[in-house]
Amino acid sequence: MEAFRIKNLTFTYPEKTRPALRDINLDINMGEMVALCGQSGCGKTTLLRNMKPLIAPHGEISGSIEFYGTDVNELSQEVQASRIGYVLQNPDAQIVTEKVWHELAFGLESLSMDTKTIRLRVAEMASFFGIQGWFHKNVNELSGGQKQLLNLAAVMVMQPDVLILDEPTSQLDPIAAGDFLATVSKINRELGTTVIITEHRLEDVLPMADRAVVMDKGEIIADDTPADVGAILAKKNHPMFLAMPSPLQTYAILYNEGVGKDLECPIDVRTGRDWLTKLLAGKELSVTELAADEESLPVDNETGKVMAPSIEIKDAWFRYHKNENDVLKDLSLEVYPGEIFCIVGGNGTGKTTTMSMIAGLRKAYRGKVKVNGTTAMLPQNPQVLFTEDTVREELGDEFRKEYELLDIEDLMDSHPYDLSGGEQQRVALAKILQTDPDILLLDEPTKGLDNGLKKELADILNRLKERGTTILMVSHDVEFCGRYGDRCAMFFDGRIITTNTPRIFFSGNSFYTTAINRMSRHIFTNAVNVDDLVELIKANE
Amino acid sequence: MRNTFATYHPIIEFGFFCVVIGIGMFMIHPVFLAIGASAAFIFAILTGGKGSLKFTLCFLLPMIIVVMVINPLVNHQGVTILFQLKYSYITAESVIYGLMMGLMLTSILLWFSSYNKVMTSDKFTYLFGRIMPSISLIFTMVMRFIPNYKIQIKKIADAQKAAGAAEAKTLKEKIHSGIKIISIMFTWALENSIDSADSMRSRGYGLKNRTAFSIYRFDRRDGAAAVFLAVMTVIVLIGCISGACHVDYFPEIVYAKANLIHISSCIAFALICYFPVFIEVKEVLVWKHLESKI
Repeated sequence: MEAFRIKNLTFTYPEKTRPALRDINLDINMGEMVALCGQSGCGKTTLLRNMKPLIAPHGEISGSIEFYGTDVNELSQEVQASRIGYVLQNPDAQIVTEKVWHELAFGLESLSMDTKTIRLRVAEMASFFGIQGWFHKNVNELSGGQKQLLNLAAVMVMQPDVLILDEPTSQLDPIAAGDFLATVSKINRELGTTVIITEHRLEDVLPMADRAVVMDKGEIIADDTPADVGAILAKKNHPMFLAMPSPLQTYAILYNEGVGKDLECPIDVRTGRDWLTKLLAGKELSVTELAADEESLPVDNETGKVMAPSIEIKDAWFRYHKNENDVLKDLSLEVYPGEIFCIVGGNGTGKTTTMSMIAGLRKAYRGKVKVNGTTAMLPQNPQVLFTEDTVREELGDEFRKEYELLDIEDLMDSHPYDLSGGEQQRVALAKILQTDPDILLLDEPTKGLDNGLKKELADILNRLKERGTTILMVSHDVEFCGRYGDRCAMFFDGRIITTNTPRIFFSGNSFYTTAINRMSRHIFTNAVNVDDLVELIKANE
Repeated sequence: MRNTFATYHPIIEFGFFCVVIGIGMFMIHPVFLAIGASAAFIFAILTGGKGSLKFTLCFLLPMIIVVMVINPLVNHQGVTILFQLKYSYITAESVIYGLMMGLMLTSILLWFSSYNKVMTSDKFTYLFGRIMPSISLIFTMVMRFIPNYKIQIKKIADAQKAAGAAEAKTLKEKIHSGIKIISIMFTWALENSIDSADSMRSRGYGLKNRTAFSIYRFDRRDGAAAVFLAVMTVIVLIGCISGACHVDYFPEIVYAKANLIHISSCIAFALICYFPVFIEVKEVLVWKHLESKI
């Protein structure tokens, strides 16, 4: 039986001529896990919200959405609240109460359950999610990942039939996101709850999903198993494949050049590895590695000497309070003008602290920190940079030519808070570029961006680099660093462990490396990104 | 700090503080004040540790002295003249009365400092949630959002600084940038509240007959404590109302004669005030005993 049956759904926002959703037909079966993919602004959220009229946006709607055979608009508030669970993007804003236990009980209180029933339900859920350890805590003490798990638990406690998740991990780091998605998968498998999820991290979601639905400009363009969806996109040569995981991108690029047409589309590292093995089976491999340039320091064209570093940290030590442990221990780092330097590494190792030390917000208590030139930092959440009511006021009247490369002319009269994540980031970049910084510091610049937006960001960074700006970024996004960085460094335990060019850096790591490297390392020694792998495969054709 | 009293039911805790602070505010009998101040001090140390000791030594003791000095300067009642200061007399009654007032203030402040440690806001919300569910929800949301706002303000200010913007130097510039930060913080808060509202509505907020869940249980230990505290309170009140604990400071210090009612109400008050200390000591002894057996 279908949990949801959507027929000819068209939805138009007020004062807009183009519908946000056009003629959507979609059945979601009971117990299924459906991944809804598409680029930012393609109508995913609009579709999901329309499935729960309690939080549906205003607008003109035609067609029908049925929930277990009843039109959703005829469902009572109780039924909607308890049977259709909905988790939003922002972990913080969704939490209403002060205590973890109270948040868990919130929905059940609304359904006027008595204390005894609530106690049992809350206890069950806390055990299932493993949150007994922080059951009595204040929500402010939780990490982002714990907060989002709490939001999920607070919805699951109402025992919904369907769980709708709208980009639930976009604000989380990879480890926390992995935990969260594993829990979602557990809910789907062990409780049989139907799950509909939208997500940028398709690498993690597609392998768990029974079905992938791809949307583009308000329409569904593919609806099948994840592997077949990949094949459909490849066959259509649709630009949407750029938003897909890198094994799938490789497949699609080669498919359109007539390579590997008869093989099944890979969706993750495991299937990618099988695909590659089959593709190259029985072939004599003439090339197994790409030329890897050793780390080379930038040279001044006029004098022919190595340029002076723009950031020079030597044996720096830092801690936040006298009686706490050191956050940075004996850190040394050199970054040169005109390079994109990426720092990768786990949470809480001191990456962001290093960044704020370079920006001058913190001071090392021992060691030397030398910064040659002006710095400007783009914070993790670009929103915190805005203080005005319109982008125009934010940037001032003077139009600068950098704005062209940022493509923000159309946004000038909007409120910065009304912009989408990618747009906010571009405006924030425009704002910090106003001071003409020599050094650009980026804190997790790809957080919450889909692949299309990441590519736009990379283009902007490359153009800035060409003008001689030093770019230092810290990121969890190894795929991005492996593709666009000039040098990468691994941060661990308060210092940098190793630094090298991405190709040497990532092919030397076995765990902390890109998906392409993990799926191809048994054949090729140093393929790091999609382009590398395509090049190597073609060289052996 | 471990705090056994805080494991009791919130109604017991709230009742306890109402009684000790309430009686402490009206009884100016020196024995009562001595009992109240000493118990409040010990309990504050138990709950607050070093911080409370520092608070008492650096702030409360000087306060007692200040009250003791200022009271006779403005209050010239009393018959026992200690010495003459220009045109006014300093009386012994006035000095003693000042000391008593200082002690009273001290004990009330100390009780409140323990109150904050014991009665966390969720307990308060729980108690009043039963009477006014919607107001208590607002209260808990406020408690949740205020720290968030603080964090956000810090983030915005840091971001501005790190973005390379010219730093505000003059007072006028500083005020200007401060106002900007606060105003954008409100915009941010409103934006976020849309998500909060969606999340609440999505979980059925606004349906009729909302219940109030709590993790607190009123067990037999709580029942025993309730009966004990109630009986003791009645004894104290009898002592107060009957006038057995009455004291006049002016024009001269006059005590009611000590009688059975007076003595029993003093003992009862001591038992109430020292109740949290007793159970803490009992807990420690029990554990000592248990450990010696292991």
